[in-house]
Amino acid sequence: MESAATLAIGCALILSGVSMPPTAFWITLIAIFSASVGINILLVNLLVAPLKDLTSALTHISGEPTLVTPPNPNARHFDRDGFKPILQLIYELAADEKKDDETVTSAIQPSARKLATALDNTSAGFMILTAKQEVLYANSNAPVHTDPDNKKVIDLIFDDKPSLAQWLKECEETAVHAEHSWERIANKVTGEEDRKIYDITASYQKGSEAEVVVILFERTAEYLPEDEDLDFIAFAAHELRGPITVIRGYLDVLNDELEDSLSGDQAELIKRLVVSANRLSSYVNNILNASRYDRRHLKVHLRESSITDIYDSINDDMQLRAVSQNRMLHVSFPDNLPTVAADRASISEVFSNLIDNAIKYSNEGGLVNVTAKADGDFVKVSVEDRGIGMPSNVLSNLFHKFYRSHRSRETVAGTGIGLYISKAIVESHGGKIGVRSAEGEGSTFEFSIPVYSTVAEKLSANNNSNEGLIEHSEDGWIKNHAMYRG
Amino acid sequence: MTAIKTILCIEDDRFIGEMYVRSLNKAGYAVDWMVDGNDGLVAARNKHYDLILLDIMLPERRGSEILAALRGGKDDLIPDTRVIVMTNFDQDDESRAAMQHSADAYLIKAEITPKKLLAIIEKLSNA
Repeated sequence: MESAATLAIGCALILSGVSMPPTAFWITLIAIFSASVGINILLVNLLVAPLKDLTSALTHISGEPTLVTPPNPNARHFDRDGFKPILQLIYELAADEKKDDETVTSAIQPSARKLATALDNTSAGFMILTAKQEVLYANSNAPVHTDPDNKKVIDLIFDDKPSLAQWLKECEETAVHAEHSWERIANKVTGEEDRKIYDITASYQKGSEAEVVVILFERTAEYLPEDEDLDFIAFAAHELRGPITVIRGYLDVLNDELEDSLSGDQAELIKRLVVSANRLSSYVNNILNASRYDRRHLKVHLRESSITDIYDSINDDMQLRAVSQNRMLHVSFPDNLPTVAADRASISEVFSNLIDNAIKYSNEGGLVNVTAKADGDFVKVSVEDRGIGMPSNVLSNLFHKFYRSHRSRETVAGTGIGLYISKAIVESHGGKIGVRSAEGEGSTFEFSIPVYSTVAEKLSANNNSNEGLIEHSEDGWIKNHAMYRG
Repeated sequence: MTAIKTILCIEDDRFIGEMYVRSLNKAGYAVDWMVDGNDGLVAARNKHYDLILLDIMLPERRGSEILAALRGGKDDLIPDTRVIVMTNFDQDDESRAAMQHSADAYLIKAEITPKKLLAIIEKLSNA
């Protein structure tokens, strides 16, 4: 602009015919240019300064970070340019709003602080979440940690139970209000330090400010000893199984290698050793299973199986047990029995326990008869002996842990755990177990398990697992060769 | 897969190891026996075996770690080898399921006499 004005004045001087020396001409032109620049700067400052002050004041009251000093409405020039009342109004309005905020906060904060302190002082964990499981609030006892992205993460291990996340997903899709409880949920895996175990209750209220409220009751003191017992039993079983492996294994080797050279008596002694070692192995399995069942860790993995195949896997052992105690074991299953949904190893343990009992409680030279038949949606298996039998008053207690009738305590060795775990296994298949007995005449134990075709769809939906309990296959498992039992 | 002829037995219990080696040798298999986890892993990496018998509770390196090192990565380092996990330890379900996933069989040693083991190997060999 300055250049254009100077040029215009220069042109006007030339055109008007004013004659002056060239030096004077250039001096005049530069003087005019300088004067116009100065006037312009003055004009811009006068016009833009109030806008700058206004922006600065607004930036200051909004709390945005700035290096500029806020304008002081008491400065003289604001008086002169009339900007003072505008700045004062801005500061006053900002002060009023802050006062309102402080009034509300000061009313809420003490009670919120008290509540937070109270929640931190309880032994319970308390969390408020969104339905997406984002942690809005967690008291000091809630199992929550902050990840590297500064996000709060819940530390809970739900194992095979439906998790909090799964439940919330279901709630979001289907519920307006819902509640759910979990028992025995740990924050860390077994063996880690500061492991805690909780019973948990969660409530969901769609659209509420506290959409998901989770309360965790710490039960570590009650549950941990049980878990440690289970660990101890698992380690003890490992230690016991080592020597059992060696005894059973070398007996197997000796039996093979000495078969032709042993006298009848010697062969009988070897047979007794084999039977005893096998029974010892069964006891260890029973103890492990009972321990797992008591802690709700026992699961069964159900597959289509035939009763004949399951029994065949233990037939040699059972026959040897019967022969070594001078009993006859007769096993007969119809060819047309439907297949069943069974955890093969578990059901073979039921067979083993019932036949072992029948052998123990039958008489010298007695017959143990094992049969099976289709019975509606179930296959019913019977193990019958003609032994000492039991009076009716003991029958109802038979399937209790460690129960042994007065008479059996005196006459027959045993732990009273076999029937207990057999009942647990059969019931976890959705079946039933029972007994009929008459004193002096013998006993018949019966158990039923579902025909495969009646439960195939449910199993397929649940990945072959029954709904409640653990996958369990004590003797082992062979991919695509599930017919083996050790 | 080819019939099983060569076997690597990784087992730290001397009695149990000798028992398996003796039976397997008698049945005509060529068996190498390692008593700790590190040696077992090195042997499995350096030489091809048709079958590995793998204990879990091993010194130096657990069987689960060996299996993970051999089959847990992007590539299966022993694609032509069968693996039978043999343990007396009552693993938790998760660990057990993980090992079952990578193995051809998972057996409780106390339940498997040498004769039964031979029958299982023969069955796997013919599969």
